[in-house]
Amino acid sequence: MQRVLITGFGIVSPLGRDGAENLKSLWNGSDCISPVNVFDVSKSRCRTAGQVQNTWLAKPKTRRQRRLDRSSLMMIQAVREMMRTSSQIKPETLVVATSSGAMSKGEQFYRSLVTGKNRAGAARQVANYLPQKPVLDVQEEFNWRVPAHIISNACASGTNAVGHAFHLVRAECHDVVLCGGYDPLSEMVFTGFDSLQAATSEKIRPFDRDRSGLVLGEGAAVLLLESERSAVARHVTVFGEIVGYGVSTDNYHPTQPHPSGIGPRLAMQRALADAGLDAGQIDYVNAHGTATIFNDATEGIAISELMPGAAVSSTKSMMGHALGGAGAIEAVFSLLAIMHQLIPPNINFRQPEPGWKFRVVGNKAEPAKIRRVISNSFGFGGLNASLILQAA
Amino acid sequence: MSFFVRGIGAVTPLAANVEQTWAELLAGAEATRQAFANGFGGRIYHCARVPQKFTAGVARESRLRRSGTISLLGVTAGLAALENAGISRDQARGGAIVFAISCGGVEYTRRFYHEVVTEGANNASPLLFPETVYNAPASHLASLLKIDNRDYTLVGDSSVGISAVHFATQLLATDPELEFCIVVGVEETDWVLADAFATWRMVTNQSSFEIFGSMRGTILAETAAALVLGRSGRIQVARVSGGIPFFRQRDASSALRDVVTQLRRDKPPAAILCSANGTFADRAEEIVFRETFGSVSVYGHKPAIGDSLGASGVLNIVLATLTLEQQILPPTLHSGGRLESVTREKTKIDGTEVLVTSVGFNHQANAALLAINS
Repeated sequence: MQRVLITGFGIVSPLGRDGAENLKSLWNGSDCISPVNVFDVSKSRCRTAGQVQNTWLAKPKTRRQRRLDRSSLMMIQAVREMMRTSSQIKPETLVVATSSGAMSKGEQFYRSLVTGKNRAGAARQVANYLPQKPVLDVQEEFNWRVPAHIISNACASGTNAVGHAFHLVRAECHDVVLCGGYDPLSEMVFTGFDSLQAATSEKIRPFDRDRSGLVLGEGAAVLLLESERSAVARHVTVFGEIVGYGVSTDNYHPTQPHPSGIGPRLAMQRALADAGLDAGQIDYVNAHGTATIFNDATEGIAISELMPGAAVSSTKSMMGHALGGAGAIEAVFSLLAIMHQLIPPNINFRQPEPGWKFRVVGNKAEPAKIRRVISNSFGFGGLNASLILQAA
Repeated sequence: MSFFVRGIGAVTPLAANVEQTWAELLAGAEATRQAFANGFGGRIYHCARVPQKFTAGVARESRLRRSGTISLLGVTAGLAALENAGISRDQARGGAIVFAISCGGVEYTRRFYHEVVTEGANNASPLLFPETVYNAPASHLASLLKIDNRDYTLVGDSSVGISAVHFATQLLATDPELEFCIVVGVEETDWVLADAFATWRMVTNQSSFEIFGSMRGTILAETAAALVLGRSGRIQVARVSGGIPFFRQRDASSALRDVVTQLRRDKPPAAILCSANGTFADRAEEIVFRETFGSVSVYGHKPAIGDSLGASGVLNIVLATLTLEQQILPPTLHSGGRLESVTREKTKIDGTEVLVTSVGFNHQANAALLAINS
């Protein structure tokens, strides 16, 4: 068994184009939700989202780069930052998450079929639509040819990818694994959540008594996980470590969590057991916290039962829900919380739900002694995943 | 650490179960092709569908009453593999699930997005959206089996089935308490998918296609195949790769060569089950098989069943277990003249190892080596 160290990370999210900008937004409690401008939302109830600015993404230079979807550009941007922080090492394998891939290209393809015009870019749309394409683009950009597993476990995907990579390194299957996740905004997914009445036309207010639903976001984040053996041999900077991962499936409903909170509780319990920790040793809970009635209710029950008194926030309040990318993005936020000793705020928070036994860190970031963070992600199909990060 | 195939299952356009599918393949049967009914622009493509009666058993489950074809297929094959492994539903809780999917629930995705495009976002049905999610089939199977732990869906090109088996071996390797893993490859099809692949000349508009010949494209098929991977059994997954990507079609043979070199043992396999589908993949496999394995018999199931994309890799591993157990290969239908070692009739083999290969559309090569305990 090897310790699993984080020796590199990269992120692009609505909070900023790199780790430094994301950290600044976390300290400031920035509200990075804005009116959607990448497709028409005039017929949707929800009309806002957390969006990555196109100007933040590296300007494509070659013909190949100009053809890439935003999802590929976001992934490349995140990996480029990771490479800067990790001494340019080539990973042995990749474990990457997405829930919708480059769906917007599939949408363009279908629209061109329905309207019967503008088929000129059809082949390119198809090539870029497939969910594995951004991962292939990353490999080509950095001249890697290594195996890649792409997990699509809905909104739990990102945490699943980091967690699986953690287990691979800990069990000494690999020494260096790049893991992470991405998801761009797409009209179909945006409309899907709107049709389920899960999206809100108001501010996203996770864990608030008057919460009314989620707002979508987008982004990409990656972490380089490295065995202690490899990191010591390379004399690299260690940013933190991963010590536990747990999953559960609550087998209740395709889109709704079991109201008892058993799914999230089991995932967190399993992560704690995997790490050999007690719940009291967790300093901060980076909650899934989508701000839907059902998610926050069940997660709230689970945290109350398992970690009464814990400091909790949902960073989705600042950037929205990046779906398959969320778990990886929030793993980086959790890492930043440990590195810089802060609890990111749960903005737009007004009143807690009566009966919950944890403390929502509302509206302002708090300096705090943070040694361990548990990060939760839950998804359609009743999938739940929790990850525990620790100061190295 | 060794991993073994404990049970297999499949539902294909040829038959409702793996035994009958195998019998049909040995008899040289070809799945019925039908033209898609819901196309645009007068472009016609054919596909091989699984008759609804083959999935009628699981369609009665309340959890699946609103599910799409892909969920019904995946659950049917997964339950069949579990039964074949001698594991009851009640005993399944200790297992994990890994699904391999390439394009996912395209029927529901198309219907949902069609409503968005034609009627507006405010008229899109909330009933369709949950089934457009890639992991919907896996979550249904987990729910029916009450598996409350590991439940993963992997996406990728048609090599993802072999990648899923590799992933399952990782789960077993990293968790000594995990008893077994159900690996399911599944795909449904739709005119939009065929039209999309046709833009790259990967799908033909004919009702049959040739492999190792003219390379005019493939025909898509619905299929689900499943296996139960555990720590004991008669057929061993001796080696399996996580896959190697390639960035241009002309580099596919190089990627496949690297993969089979990684897996190669002292003696050549007794047979190869290939992924040839009437596209550039044929050329890559032809080059590697000829230079690396000489006269080793090669079988391709796709002209008989069709190309089931994400399901095809798992189906090939399922067929490889039958090949090893029965020491026979079916005839490859519609094989051109570019590779002499292709089976053109039922062919007896004599050996303990079979290689399964896959060259995906977009763009990964992968392979697995299966061995029978003598």
